[in-house]
Amino acid sequence: MLWYSQTYEYDCEWPVVSLAFLLRYPNPYAAHVLSCDVIDRTWSPTGTLCTTRLILKRGALPRWFPSGVLSRAESWIIEESEVDPFGKTLRCTTRNLDHVKVMQVCESTVLQSGANGKTSQYTEARVMSNFGWGLAKRIENHGLAKFKANIQRSREGVSLVLSLLRQSRMHATMGGPGPDTSFSPSLSQLQNRYVHSHLNVTHADSPPTPSSDGSFEPHDHQSVTRPGVLVRLKSWFGRS
Amino acid sequence: MSQSLAPECTPLKHSYDACFNAWFEGYLEPAIAAGSNGGSGKNGSSAASPKAREEYSSKKAEEFEKNCGEVWRQYRSCVQGAVKEKGLDEMLKQAREDNPLKEPPLPSTSQSSSRS
Repeated sequence: MLWYSQTYEYDCEWPVVSLAFLLRYPNPYAAHVLSCDVIDRTWSPTGTLCTTRLILKRGALPRWFPSGVLSRAESWIIEESEVDPFGKTLRCTTRNLDHVKVMQVCESTVLQSGANGKTSQYTEARVMSNFGWGLAKRIENHGLAKFKANIQRSREGVSLVLSLLRQSRMHATMGGPGPDTSFSPSLSQLQNRYVHSHLNVTHADSPPTPSSDGSFEPHDHQSVTRPGVLVRLKSWFGRS
Repeated sequence: MSQSLAPECTPLKHSYDACFNAWFEGYLEPAIAAGSNGGSGKNGSSAASPKAREEYSSKKAEEFEKNCGEVWRQYRSCVQGAVKEKGLDEMLKQAREDNPLKEPPLPSTSQSSSRS
């Protein structure tokens, strides 16, 4: 098993960062996210909100990976989060549900309110493989490298949603400031407009179909505005 | 907003998301909503008594039910149906028993839900 951790600080208050974090899909840095569903949502006895989401991500296999092992290179991810508005803490854990013998990546993130209106993010990942043929170590190294490369992208996605959120809030308060102004219609409009018009992200409009040869490659054919983003738009299971 | 795993659930998901997001924004800021002290420090408002937390939680839960309860049930039943249809329910059940929030998963074969 390989282990990795990183801290980061957002120059923004916790409620807004937490909102952006949970609303991070869709964003152009996460074009590999095909679907995202809330499958359970409950309040704990202590007043925290617990959410379980099921996310489908598209990935690809590294070149050296034996063909025919995986029936498809899509992965179901389960995300469990707990929001504590009193303690100003958000905890979130994600891990893949399938291909777990090949590689399991467990990621934990904690967002916590810090001093001066800032928010700290602590992210930890464990990568483990039970794969045979002497490949486990190599798979873990590959997985961790992908994770490190993707963590930056993931934050850029959250930051983008954060700025859209600020825009929509400004917009919402222009009509008349009040604590109860609701952002949501305009945020989702901004989000959709941004994702669809600027980046032309394609979504799966049909259920994922299994491919039999295990040589699935992501079709990242977005017209991305910045070079390099395309290359970086690969999931943690991306091509080496 | 992102798509649902089943295209037929996507419109319901979008309605639910919009409703939830509007509610959630208020939920995140109990200091303002409850009109109590708005400490912004690390533990600014975490000193709230368990009773205050409970009251706040049940108030917000009620508000959620009133605004979004109906669409939430419709969306959830749509997704649950799709999850079953795709044969994902067993995999999910297994995974949720592990509850990674409380106990980090072990790197062993305990993850027996693999279908690969």
